[in-house]
Amino acid sequence: MTSDNDVALRVRALESLLLEKGLVEAPAIDEIIDLFENRLGPQNGAKVIARAWSDPDFKARLLANATDAIVEMGYEAVQGEDMVVVENTAQVHNIVVCTLCSCFPWATLGLPPVWYKSAPYRARAASDPRGVLAEFGTDIAAEAEVRVWDSNAELRYMVLPERPAGSESLDEEALVALVTRDSMIGVTRALNP
Amino acid sequence: MKITREVVQGLYKQTGTARVDADVAASFKVGDAIQARNINPTGHTRLPRYIRGKQGRIATDHGVFKFADSLAHGGGNQPQHLYSVRFDAQELWGAAAPAQDCLYIDLWDDYLEPA
Repeated sequence: MTSDNDVALRVRALESLLLEKGLVEAPAIDEIIDLFENRLGPQNGAKVIARAWSDPDFKARLLANATDAIVEMGYEAVQGEDMVVVENTAQVHNIVVCTLCSCFPWATLGLPPVWYKSAPYRARAASDPRGVLAEFGTDIAAEAEVRVWDSNAELRYMVLPERPAGSESLDEEALVALVTRDSMIGVTRALNP
Repeated sequence: MKITREVVQGLYKQTGTARVDADVAASFKVGDAIQARNINPTGHTRLPRYIRGKQGRIATDHGVFKFADSLAHGGGNQPQHLYSVRFDAQELWGAAAPAQDCLYIDLWDDYLEPA
């Protein structure tokens, strides 16, 4: 078992070596950390979803052309050059998987979680989505339709979760806190207020 | 090459889209019934085995995209239409799957034949 301390030491040693050998400049490392900590990630996707819940015109644009609607909000297009957003309703539940590898919309969801890249998720989300959803604690009505989206090619997918009951009085900023990464992959619902 | 801040910025600023602005005819239109070809390439493909030989219906025409199978082997763009295709869960996984469930997957023209 490797502790976080060991990992931190190893990373520091690698960073020192890369810098001392002149392979990498320190500002390049700062740029990468800033990119993945602050500019890419599910905090962006949550803002997109909260706006869609609050603004019907934006929601219509997002479902019609997700790529443009997301760029409109000022987010980077990296690994989201051609986006599709699919809407969960009481009748339809969407879940995203990449059966071939780990394709994922970086700009709005960040880097994929380890389980998303695992062989069991990639196989079972396609063949037994209701079983996978139950393991995530997400019950789906027997009469509802489950739609699996295999992002095997060049499109990247994000789920627009249902706006939770009881969130009617919340403004856009407060709604952001209810949107989790997993709810935008479709394995869970948005949080209850 | 030394990795500088500018190199990092260049990596994520460049658009990575595989969409191509080319006038290529589509072999199928939305609503068409299709069957995925049963091909077994030894190289790169985005046509997973669980889709090969299965019948579905064109849900969306995404437009013209570079063809990943040929690009991966230096075979050029071979631009062609990329479709979202809907398959019933029962077509893919048998009668035990719920009748209303389905799977959407993006498939290039070269993977498809009329059903």
